[in-house]
Formats: sequence, C-alpha cells, structure tokens
Amino acid sequence: MSKTRAIAAPGPTSERHFTTRRAFVGATGFGVLGLYFLWAGYGAAPLFPGHGGEADGHGGHGGHGGHGAAEPGMSMAEFKELSDDFVKAYAQPDGSVRPSNDGHGPVDVYLSAFLWGYAPAVLRLEAGTPYRFQMMALDVAHGASIQLGSGSRIIRLRPGSLVEQELTFQAPGEYLVYCTIYCGLPHDRMQGKIIVEERRA
Amino acid sequence: MSQNGLVSGVAALPEADKRLLKLFFAAALGALGLGVLFGASTALARAGFVDLGPLAGYRAMSGHGVTIFFYWLYFAQAGLLLALAAAYGAPRAGFALRPLAAIGIGLMAAGFAASLYALYGGMPLLYDAPPELARERSAAVAAFYAGYLALSAGLFCVAAAAVATTLRPLGRGESWSVASFASVAWAGLLMVTAIAAFTAFGPSLMWALGLGTMPTNYSTAWHVLFHNMHYLPLMATVLLWYVLIETLTGVKSILGARFSKIVFASYLILVPPTSLYHMFLEPDLAEPVRVVGSLLSLFISVPTVLVFLVIVVSLEAHARAQGARGLFGWIRMLPWRNPAMSAIGFAAANLALGGALSFVLIQEKLAPLLSDTFFVPGYFHFLTVGTVTLTFLAALVYALPALTGRALGQPGLLRWLPPLATLGLVLFGTAGVTAGYLGVPRRVLDVSYAGDAPAAWGTLMSIVGVGGLLMTVALGLYVLVLALNLLPLKRGAGAAYPEVRWGGEVALDARAWTGPLAIAVLLALMVVFSVGAFELMKALPLEAIGGAAHH
Repeated sequence: MSKTRAIAAPGPTSERHFTTRRAFVGATGFGVLGLYFLWAGYGAAPLFPGHGGEADGHGGHGGHGGHGAAEPGMSMAEFKELSDDFVKAYAQPDGSVRPSNDGHGPVDVYLSAFLWGYAPAVLRLEAGTPYRFQMMALDVAHGASIQLGSGSRIIRLRPGSLVEQELTFQAPGEYLVYCTIYCGLPHDRMQGKIIVEERRA
Repeated sequence: MSQNGLVSGVAALPEADKRLLKLFFAAALGALGLGVLFGASTALARAGFVDLGPLAGYRAMSGHGVTIFFYWLYFAQAGLLLALAAAYGAPRAGFALRPLAAIGIGLMAAGFAASLYALYGGMPLLYDAPPELARERSAAVAAFYAGYLALSAGLFCVAAAAVATTLRPLGRGESWSVASFASVAWAGLLMVTAIAAFTAFGPSLMWALGLGTMPTNYSTAWHVLFHNMHYLPLMATVLLWYVLIETLTGVKSILGARFSKIVFASYLILVPPTSLYHMFLEPDLAEPVRVVGSLLSLFISVPTVLVFLVIVVSLEAHARAQGARGLFGWIRMLPWRNPAMSAIGFAAANLALGGALSFVLIQEKLAPLLSDTFFVPGYFHFLTVGTVTLTFLAALVYALPALTGRALGQPGLLRWLPPLATLGLVLFGTAGVTAGYLGVPRRVLDVSYAGDAPAAWGTLMSIVGVGGLLMTVALGLYVLVLALNLLPLKRGAGAAYPEVRWGGEVALDARAWTGPLAIAVLLALMVVFSVGAFELMKALPLEAIGGAAHH
C-alpha cells in the first residue's frame, strides 16, 4: 500500500519517486530537444560548434558556381530586360525556351514571375545539367515552385529580390511550375512548365 | 457543480461584470460561428464540391482566417482572461478598471465590424493583407488595417484591466495564485503582441489613408506579430487545462506553485525570440540566421510540454492514492462523461499530433519541401481547432452556466462533439499533411492547374472537404448549444457534470510514468514525420544548391 500524505504538505521531495520530482519533470520537458540529433544525422544542423550542416536538405553544398550572373542590386526593370533578352535569345518555334549548354559550368536561366504568369512560360532543359536559376518577382510576391512528382521544390520570390538557385534535374519529364503565394483572384491559373529531356551527347 | 475557483469565482462576480463577460463570449461565439461557415465554404470549394468562383471563394478563405484567427480566438481569450483574473483574485470586488475593459470590447467589436466591411468592400487579401497585394489605396483596405488596429487597442485595454484585477489580492497582503500569476504573464504577452500589431499595421493604415508611403518591411513585421499570435492561444490553452483539471478533479500541482509559475513565465522568454522559422523561405534570410532560427525553435515547445507534465504527473500521483492500478489505469478513472474532460482529453491528443507535425517545419532545410504547402493548414488545424478551440469551448461549458445561472442544454451531446470534431480533423489533417508532402499549395481554390497537377491532389482535397464538413457540424453544434445558454430562456440549474475529488491525498511513492512516456511518444512522432520529410526530399529528382537573395 502506498504511503499517502495530504497534498497541502506533500513532504520533502527525497521521499518521492523520482518521476514526480521537479528535477526529473523539468529535465523531461526538454526531451524534445533530442530531435536535434536527427537533424545532425541528416547533416541539417551542425553536430559540434563550428561544424556547419550541409547547405541543402539533399546533399548540396553552399554557394554556386558559374558565370554571367545577374548583378546583385539590380532593379526589377533591369531584371526584366535580362529575362526578356534570355527569352528572345533561346526561343524555340513552339514558343518554349531552350538555353544552350556550352559545357562550361552551370547554364544561366532567367525566370520572371508576374501577375499572372512566368517568362519563359515553358522551359526546355536537359537532365543532369546544372542550371543557375536567377529569379525575380516583378510586381507582387509570387511562388515559382516546381512539382517533381512525389513532392515539390517550393520557391518564394519577393518583388525586387534576386533569388539564385542552382538546380540539376535528375530525370526527364514535364514538371509543373506554379505560384505558391496568393497573388490575387487568378492566382490558381498562374503556372508554367519545365520540360526536361535526355541530355544530348 | 464544483464550487472552486473558476465556477464559484465567476458566479460571484458583480452583475455589471457578468454582463460584460457575456458580451465577450457572445462576440466570440458569433465570430466562431461565422468563421466556421467561411471555413466550410472554403473546404467545399477546395474539394470541388461547390464552385464559388474566385471572388467569393477567396473572400470565404479570407473571412475564415480573419474571423477565426483574429476574432474568435481573441474575443474568447479576452473574456477568459478577465474571468480568470477576477475568479482567482477577489471575485466579489469584480473587475478593476471595468470602464477600460468595456472600452476594450467596444474597440474589439468595432474592429470586427471594420474587418467584415473590408472583406466585402474590396479585393480579398487573405488575413495577412500585404499592402503590395492591395496595390491601390481604398476605404476597404484602410478598414482592413483599422480593424486590426482597433482589435489590438481593445486587447491592450482588456489586458491592462486584467492585470489591474489580479493586483487586488496583493493589496490585502495575499500572494498570487498560479492562475493569477499565469494570467498576468498571458496579459503581458497580449500587450506585447498588441504593440507588435501597431508596428505591423500602423504604417499600412497610414499608407492606405494617403498619409504615408507603402511600408517596405511589412512581411517581417507581420511574421513577428503572427508568431506571438500563434502561441498566445496555446499559452491560454494550457493555463485553462491547469484550472479546469483542478475544477474537474480537485487536483493541484504536486510540484508546487513556484515551479508552475516559473513554467508559465518561461513563455515570455521562449516565445518571442523564436519567430524566425516562419521566414525560412524568405529569400532575404541569411543562412546562419536560418540555422540559429532552427535551433531556437526547438525550445518553443518546452513551456507547453512542462505544463502538460505538471498536470499529468499530479493527476497520476493523486489517482494512485485513490487506488489506480497498472501503468495507465488511472486514465480510466478520469470523469470522461464530463464534456469538459472529453474536450481536454481530445485536445491533448490533438496537441501531440499537431505539435509533432509542426516540428517538421522548424527545420530550415525542410522549408523548401513544405512551407507554403497544404502541410501548414493540415498541421495547424490540429492546434487551432483540435487543441485551442476545444479547450476554449470546454472552459465555456463551465463558465457560461456560472455566468447565466442556467444549465447548458444537451450535456450528453456536448460529450460527443470533441470526438466528432477530432474525427473530422483526422481526415482533414491526414489528407492535408499528405497533400503538403506532395506539394499541394495552400491558399489556392483550384489545384487542378488545367490538368497538369497530379491526380492525387484533387482526391486529397476531397478528403479535406469531408473532414472540414465534420468539423463544421461539431463546432456548429457547440456554438448553438453555448449561444442558447446566453439567451434568457427559462432553464434550471441542471444536473451536475460528473467530476472526481482526488485533491486530498497524494501517493508519495507513486510512480508517474505516463507523462515521460507521452513525451517519448511525442519525440518518436517528431522523428517519424521529420524522417519522412528528409527522405522524400532526398528522393526528389532534383539537386538544388543555394537560395540566397540579393537586392
């Protein structure tokens, strides 16, 4: 039979089972911090101070290579001009845009997001080739997220902020590009497409 | 019915204070009823069961967020805060600074009216209403920000009145009870949040009135405000668990009042600095800031988990003194036929699910997989509906009859509403979270994208719609039963709700493993959901590097 005591005088904590002591309860409250070790195991957080986690959730590393990037600090008008030039330079007869791959570093791609579409609306890329996506929203905030079958790459764009990501598609296919930030009544119809083809020899 | 702090305190209030509290709760239930209708319309439209068109559809979506997140949760909090402050202080003396509390509800009601006008007077802006989206100044846009500012000013007044009310016992040389102390912490965070609202919406209102330029930092100010707004209702929820469990069982903390006070105070320390995780997808956020943001965010659950542990450990130790056997036998001894106990039980289970899912989002590397997807409403409905709303309604189940002197109708029905709401929530949340993992965007009415989206997206949204309907039925019935109690209909005191009285003795050598085991289960759920996200991200046919922005 348990010893009992009036709650008004619960007695010294040394008489208690350790699961009802303040120190144990307090320490247990911090138990969810154990999730950190899972993060570290996936390289998503530094295990020790000074050891950086991986730059991306699936094995990337920080920074980007390549050349010919849009200049930091450029205005929306300047970016639109670059984006328009890119579309004009690589336009295909079917209206899509297919940047050429010279084999030297990541291939630059310029993607503008605006009410309610993208330029280019249809991109043709090669599987296995790294592309340096340079993206900007030209009026209000937009998403330029890419549906990849079993999940998506969510990308948020703010007007006037140049966003750079180096993307390498691993498999051929047609990928939906869609806006993931509400941008007005036709928001549902704001979409584009990336068609990824086998790499040419 | 019990004659302890909450019930006897509310019943002892002066009539003028009771009338004021009835106004708060009537406004809260009105906002909840309206918000549920907006939510049902949104869910049905997303499911493709009805075609509202973009204007009505996005108005419903905006209305759902505005009425639930801003007005239901804050009218209810304002009323419950005042009720606790007085009930656990000097109830017969009533509210200190009653005129200030009355001004508070007046301002909040004016804010509600302005927000409803804004919803139907202009383009739907959703509840965050970024000025850049409004683009042009108009009376409706000005009303949007003015409504939020009036709400914030009203909350500030109510919080000040609540703090003043808790001070009364101190003047007589008494010390604060845990409920009074926690009410002051809650009121303090409300005041900080109200000030944050002014920094977010003040410049926007000036712009909308033509008295200033469009603010350039609205997004950051919004996220800081919104983060506090997440945790205020959760802090209120665990405080209500604390006082309701005492009401239902007579059990007080076996860890002492000082420990509980420290835990409630820790909300003030741990909540405000952890707002970064809402901004992980923002292009401007530097990588080191993201890493620090993830680390800090791990601490966000600590106060809530600690209050849960204090309650569960205390309950278990007392139940063992009453003869509870086995690891979980004590749980069966709780008064589950009591509608408030039923609501708190389901609220705790929903908190575990919602909390575990939310921890996937605090890892910045997973933001490019899940932020801005339906994962977000999928998990947060476990918290807003399944945890916070069920708890607030449980508190009203006790507070309203104490205010009106009339018993609630349909106590048997009330007991079954939490499981019905949770059933809907499980459908909504499971389909919604799965949809989020697959990339379904939030805040989109039609996810078909002219046939280019995966077929599963539409199917999952249909399940979300069915779950939303079940939640609508459960919450609609709650509103009906509680609102009827506010009407001056003839009804007696009614039969007492089933309760237990375990407060007298505690088993000193009792083991209390349920709490630690619950935290282990919570951690296991976090690991499962996080591993799923990491593995899914690794499996995507895309390698991505970077994400930095330049101006």
